[in-house]
Amino acid sequence: MQTDLASGVQLHVMPSEKFKTVTITIKFKEMLKADQITKRTLISNLINTNSRHYPTQTDFRNTLSELYGARLSTSVSKKGQYHIVSVGLTVVNDKYLKEEGILKKAIAFLENILYYPNVYHGAFHKETFKREIENLRDEYEAIYDDKQDYSTIALNELYFDTEEQRIPSFGREKDLESITPEGLYKTYEKMLSENEIDIFVLGDIVEENIIDTFKLFKFNDREIFPQKTFYELKESTEVKRKVEKQDLTQARYNLAFNTNIFYHQNNYYAGQIFNGLFGGYPHSKLFMNVREKESLAYTISSGIDTFTGSMFVYSGIDQKEATHVGEIILKELNALRQGDFNDESVQQTKELLKNSLYQSEDSANSMIERAYASKITREPQIRIEEWIKKIESVTKAEIMDTAKRVQLRAEFLLIGKED
Amino acid sequence: MEKIEYAQLNETIYKEILPNGLTVILLPKIDFYKTYALFSTNFGSIDQQFIPIGETDFKKMPDGIAHFLEHKMFEKKDGDVFDDFSKLGASANAFTSFTKTAYLFSSTSHFKENLETLLDFVQKPYFTNKSVNKEKGIIRQEIQMYDDLPEWRVMFGLLENLYPNHPASIDIAGTIESIEDITAELLYENYHTFYHPSNMQLFVTGNFEIEQTIEWIRKNQNLKQFEEAKEIKRRYPSEENTKVIPSGEIKLPVNKPKVLVGIKGKKNKLKGAAALRQLISVEFLLKLLFGETSSTYLKLYDEGLIDDSFNYEYTFEREIDHLSVGGDTKEPDQLISILKNLLLKAAESPDLNEKHFEIVKKRSIGESLQSFNSLEFIAHQFNDVQFEDVTVFDIIHLMESIELEDIKKVAMQYINSENMSEFRVTPKLK
Repeated sequence: MQTDLASGVQLHVMPSEKFKTVTITIKFKEMLKADQITKRTLISNLINTNSRHYPTQTDFRNTLSELYGARLSTSVSKKGQYHIVSVGLTVVNDKYLKEEGILKKAIAFLENILYYPNVYHGAFHKETFKREIENLRDEYEAIYDDKQDYSTIALNELYFDTEEQRIPSFGREKDLESITPEGLYKTYEKMLSENEIDIFVLGDIVEENIIDTFKLFKFNDREIFPQKTFYELKESTEVKRKVEKQDLTQARYNLAFNTNIFYHQNNYYAGQIFNGLFGGYPHSKLFMNVREKESLAYTISSGIDTFTGSMFVYSGIDQKEATHVGEIILKELNALRQGDFNDESVQQTKELLKNSLYQSEDSANSMIERAYASKITREPQIRIEEWIKKIESVTKAEIMDTAKRVQLRAEFLLIGKED
Repeated sequence: MEKIEYAQLNETIYKEILPNGLTVILLPKIDFYKTYALFSTNFGSIDQQFIPIGETDFKKMPDGIAHFLEHKMFEKKDGDVFDDFSKLGASANAFTSFTKTAYLFSSTSHFKENLETLLDFVQKPYFTNKSVNKEKGIIRQEIQMYDDLPEWRVMFGLLENLYPNHPASIDIAGTIESIEDITAELLYENYHTFYHPSNMQLFVTGNFEIEQTIEWIRKNQNLKQFEEAKEIKRRYPSEENTKVIPSGEIKLPVNKPKVLVGIKGKKNKLKGAAALRQLISVEFLLKLLFGETSSTYLKLYDEGLIDDSFNYEYTFEREIDHLSVGGDTKEPDQLISILKNLLLKAAESPDLNEKHFEIVKKRSIGESLQSFNSLEFIAHQFNDVQFEDVTVFDIIHLMESIELEDIKKVAMQYINSENMSEFRVTPKLK
C-alpha cells in the first residue's frame, strides 16, 4: 500500500512473512544529467562513510553493529533517462533477537544520517571529502584492472549517442577535478529537497507502525514533472567499431544492438524470449554454437536493458577467433529472424523465464526493484500470474518480428599485445 | 527420518541415512516459491592421491581432475544435462572446491522431475576420450580467465607459500599442462571411488512436501546398484619437514598493488561443536582485529593504506586451515609490516576488549540471521559447515556462548611467526 508523506514523496509498505529481516530502500530520482552523475556517486559514498553525529567510521560502524549488524548500502543506477541514488538498510526482525525496538532505532538512524550529513559551514567535512574523492579515483582506476568492466564501459561509449548515456551510472574520473565540498553539499541539498523520493519497507511488519515511524522524516513537498522514461537511440545503419590492445591472455569481444524492446511495452514479452533464445541461457544459439559446438569461448551471453532498448553480447575468446565469432553471432541473429528455431526451445525459454520471475519473488530486493520499475514507468504493477500468461502467449511470428528489428550498432574488441 | 527443531530460529530439518549410505537432509520453507537442491560429494581438488576402489595401491591423479570430472558429468550419451533441467524450467550449476564437488538446481516447478534428474545424472557417468579431449579446450579458457584475475593470483601466491608441497596450493582447475593427462579412464576411476552414496549428501530446501519427497528419494536410490561401501583411503604429501615460505611477489598489469598476509594453522582434528567453535572463534578474532569497528581499520583507512577491498578470511576445511588478511594498497611494504605486527601481538591488542567484543558479537549474530534469508546460502553452509551433527543453525547459540577469554586463548594458540607468510602483486610497467 502507498502513502504520500509529502508531495513527490511516497512510502510503499510491503508486508511479507518470508524473511527474517526488514528491508528499507529509499530511492532519490532525477533526470540523467552528464554533470551530476559523478557528484551523485560521490554523495552515495559519503552517506555510507560517516555523518555529523557519527563523525568517524568507527562511530558509524559501531552503531550499525549494535543494531545487530544492520546493513547500510548505498548505490547509484540508471533507468532509461533517470539517475537514481538508492539508500538501503536491512535489519534483523526483532522476533529472532533477545532485544526489542531494533527496527525503530534503525529508521531513526537512517533519518539522522540523511538529515545530518557530515557538513560544516555549508560544506562536506574536508578530510572525509578528500579521502572519498581519492577512493573513488582508485575505483575508477581499478576498472582498468578488470577487463570485463573495462570493455563493457568502452562498448557503451561507442554505442550511445548522448553524453549522459555514455557515462557509466557510477560516473567517471575526469569529473572529480571540478567537485568541491561546498558545491557537493548544494547538490546534496537539492537531492534531498527536489528529487522524487520513493521509500519501500518490506518484511513481517505492521503498516500503521511503519507510517508512524516515517513521520519522523520531515519531507518537504516538491513538484514533479512527468518525463519520458525510456531512452531511444537514433535510427542509423552505421556500425561503430573499435579495437584496443592491452596486456592480457583472454580477448574480450562485446557487441551492442538496438532492439526496440522496452519494459512492458508492445514487444517486451517476445523480446524476453528472443534474448533467451539468442544468448540468455545455456540452450541459446550463442552458447550452443560458439561455446559448446566450436569451443571458441569460455563465456558468451546476451542481455537486454529494456529501459534503453538495447542488447549487449559479452564474450571472452581466443583473439585469433574474433572474426569467426563475429560471423557466427550475426549468423545466429539471422537464423532467429528467419524462424530457424523449434517450438521446444521456445517452450524451454518460457519455462526458464517463468522460473526466474517466481524466483525474484523470493528476494526482498527484487520485489522492491519490481515495484519501483512499475512506479517509474507509471504503469500499474502487473501481477506475476498475469506476466506469466503474457509470456506463455508469445508466438513464433512475434519472436521473428522482434528479431528483425534488432540491429547491430557497435562492437568493441579488446586484444592482447603480441609477444 | 530424524526431526531436528531449531525453535529459536523457527526452522526444522529432517535427516535420514539411506541403506546405500547416502545422507539426506530436508529443510522445508513453504513461504518460498523456489526449491533448491544440492547434491555433493566429499571430494575436491586436493584429493589426488588415493587407492581407487577395487585396487590395493595408491595412485596419483593429474592436477585439476575433480574439477574436470565435474564438467564432464553434465554430458550424457544422448545430450546435455543443462538442457534437461532448462526444459523443466530449472537452472542447474556445479562447483568444485578444495574438498567438495557439488551439483545443484533451483526450480519453481516440476520439482519431482528436477530432483530425479539431479540424482540420475550425478549417478550415471558417461565419458569418452573424444568428449574428454574436447572439454580440454573449454577448461584451458577457464584457467586463462582466472590467470587474468589479480585477486585470484594473489590468493594462490599466498597458498603456494603456506602449502609448498600440498595440493591446496594448486589451482582447483589444474594447469594448462596437467589437464592434458586426463583421460576417460582416469575420470571413471575417480568417479567410482568418490561418488559412492556413502561419500555423498543430498540437501533440499524450499517449497516441497516432506513425506512425499523422502519417498521419491528412497525409491530412486533403491532402484540403483552400488558396490558395498568401503572406507576411502586418501593420502596427502607429508608436510612435516616443509616450512612455510615467508614471502613472494609477482608482477602483473594492475594499477594498485595487492597484498595478503596469511598464517597456516595446525590442522587439528577437532570434531563436532568444538570444530565449529574454532571456526567462529578465529572469525571473531579477525573481526576484532581488522573489522570495520576496530581501531586498526579506521587508522589504516584514514592513512590511505587500505580501501574497500580490504578483507580477511578464515578457511577451515578438511586438511586445510589458514587465515588471510589484506587488500589493495599503495604502500605494500608498510601495510604488510603493520598487519604482521598486529597478528603477532593479537592477544594484547587494545581492540580485544569487552565492549568491542559485545559489538562484534551482536553484528555477527545479526549477519548470520540475515544470511538465513537465502536458500542458496543455507544449502551451501549445510555443505561446508558440517562437523558431524552440528550445523549452520547451531552458529547463533555457539556465538552467544563464546567469551573474550576464549578468543585470547585462540589467538595465542593459533598465531606464530613461523607459519606466517606474505604475498604481493605489484604493477608491471605497461
